[in-house]
Amino acid sequence: MKTLAALIGDTFQEARARWLFWGLFALSTLLILIFLFVLQIDLAAGAITFLGIEATSRRISSIQKFVNVSYSWVSIALYVWGTFLAVFASSGLIPSVLEAGRISLLLSKPLTRTSLLLGRYAGNLMVVALNHTYLVLSVWIILGLKTHIWAPRFLLAIPVSIFLFAVLLCVVVLVGVISESAALSVMAPIGLSLISVLLAQHQLVIRLLSSEWSRQLWMFFYWILPKVFDLGNAMRQTILFDRHATWIAPVGTSAAFGAIVLLGALRIFQKRDF
Amino acid sequence: MGDFAIETYGLEKIYRSRWRGREIRAVSNLSLRVPAGVKYGLLGANGAGKTTFVKMLLTAVHPTNGSAKLFGQDARQPEARRPIGYLPENHRFPTYLTGYGMLDFYGALSGMEARQRKKRIPEFLDLVGLKDWGDVRIKKYSKGMLQRLGLAQALLHRPKLLILDEPTDGVDPVGRRQIREVLDGLTEKGVTIFINSHLLSEVESFCEYVAILRNGQLAVEGKISNLLTGRGYRVTAAEVPPEALAEIRQSGASTLSTSEGVSIQVTTREEANSIIDRIRAAGGEIESVAASTSSLEDLFMQTAHPEKAA
Repeated sequence: MKTLAALIGDTFQEARARWLFWGLFALSTLLILIFLFVLQIDLAAGAITFLGIEATSRRISSIQKFVNVSYSWVSIALYVWGTFLAVFASSGLIPSVLEAGRISLLLSKPLTRTSLLLGRYAGNLMVVALNHTYLVLSVWIILGLKTHIWAPRFLLAIPVSIFLFAVLLCVVVLVGVISESAALSVMAPIGLSLISVLLAQHQLVIRLLSSEWSRQLWMFFYWILPKVFDLGNAMRQTILFDRHATWIAPVGTSAAFGAIVLLGALRIFQKRDF
Repeated sequence: MGDFAIETYGLEKIYRSRWRGREIRAVSNLSLRVPAGVKYGLLGANGAGKTTFVKMLLTAVHPTNGSAKLFGQDARQPEARRPIGYLPENHRFPTYLTGYGMLDFYGALSGMEARQRKKRIPEFLDLVGLKDWGDVRIKKYSKGMLQRLGLAQALLHRPKLLILDEPTDGVDPVGRRQIREVLDGLTEKGVTIFINSHLLSEVESFCEYVAILRNGQLAVEGKISNLLTGRGYRVTAAEVPPEALAEIRQSGASTLSTSEGVSIQVTTREEANSIIDRIRAAGGEIESVAASTSSLEDLFMQTAHPEKAA
């Protein structure tokens, strides 16, 4: 625990010194300020305007529902914004620890390579979790104060965003351990996320594909890669309708993907010479 | 704890190029025993395998064959590294930390309690002459200061074995003396010091034991006092015919090629006179004759660069 705490603390210190920590919080604060001052949300006797759209009890069944729709789209915006920003911020934190002269000293200490890499992973995840919580919680409070409607389901964006980042961070770690390149560590998870969004359109694409093998190949990739789109969609639907969306498949397959990738990274890290 | 601080058995490292299938044998069949409590120097030319050997001890590099023990424990076990202090060559300490923060971080990784670290860090900063620099970020440190801070890092958890890779690299003479004094103090406490250095005079004056690597293999190992011959005479000559030189070598004198010609080391005055007579009879020219003792440099040249020793 002492070692883990030291490694997590070191990751925080490095994130702070590299301005990643402050950069993340500054950009999140900017978004929070936009919600606070720029967005016009007015609620007056049975009508609400949000982003300039006016809803009345005539157009939408209830003000509550309008707020839910707004909240669901804001949560998606935060999900995408927070995740991509976090991946960019985390890209250099694994390669930096593998620099010659730094890694050899770390490996001379009485700790396993697994705990070294997992400590770094945990530290990175905690930096981002802190930022996600700050961002979503602040936006939730601002929206609640402006509309006087408090929707706790909106806070679901915190665990979902952190979960997705935890999965993508496994890819950052794997690419970092193999290539020691910060640029490649950003490209790989962002690329995977974009492919995943494309693969999620399988219901439409399958009808367009002519051969059986290409349909199977599409579904194969859909099932093995993390479900960036499906997770966001499940979160949006839960916030929107307050009922259970399809969570098991996207969470299960994404978690399995992350676990396998992280195990692969650990295995490669164990075998490498520095 | 075992009788030996370091024991290696047939240690070997072969680097294989993934695509070309080329092999580089960095260390080959290296068996070495370093007794506990001694000062041990590891020498070798560039690329002889010294750093690879040290990295195998500390598991940064995995051996292709063989095994290593630290105080009787398998070096692959993390616990075996608990009594080890290490200062790597070309270290890269996190520049975002202060001197104090750096010692605190590596102290924690070495298993020290927060209370111990709080007490010892100021002591060790003082010991290496960085008392007033503890709160300064280490990116502002000079190379010599970084080296001294690295030494404090290696010593903080009171190791039983100190492995130093070029410990005085970039350190000015005052700093070197300071490091030397710190190390002298440690040997009195029974700490084993293993130095990997290019500075032969430093190893000769400080270490009791030495090992010289050549092409990844152990060429010479033993107590320095046993390896170096006693007082004698050095005859330097030019234009010595090869046949005469072979004859001189057969008589038991050690020879070394120099820019001036050849340097011949003998132990007695009679041998020196006899060698001079032979050289002159063969048409060679005597450049100089001097009383000398054989140095570690001679031994190093003879073992690490035998092609230069005639």
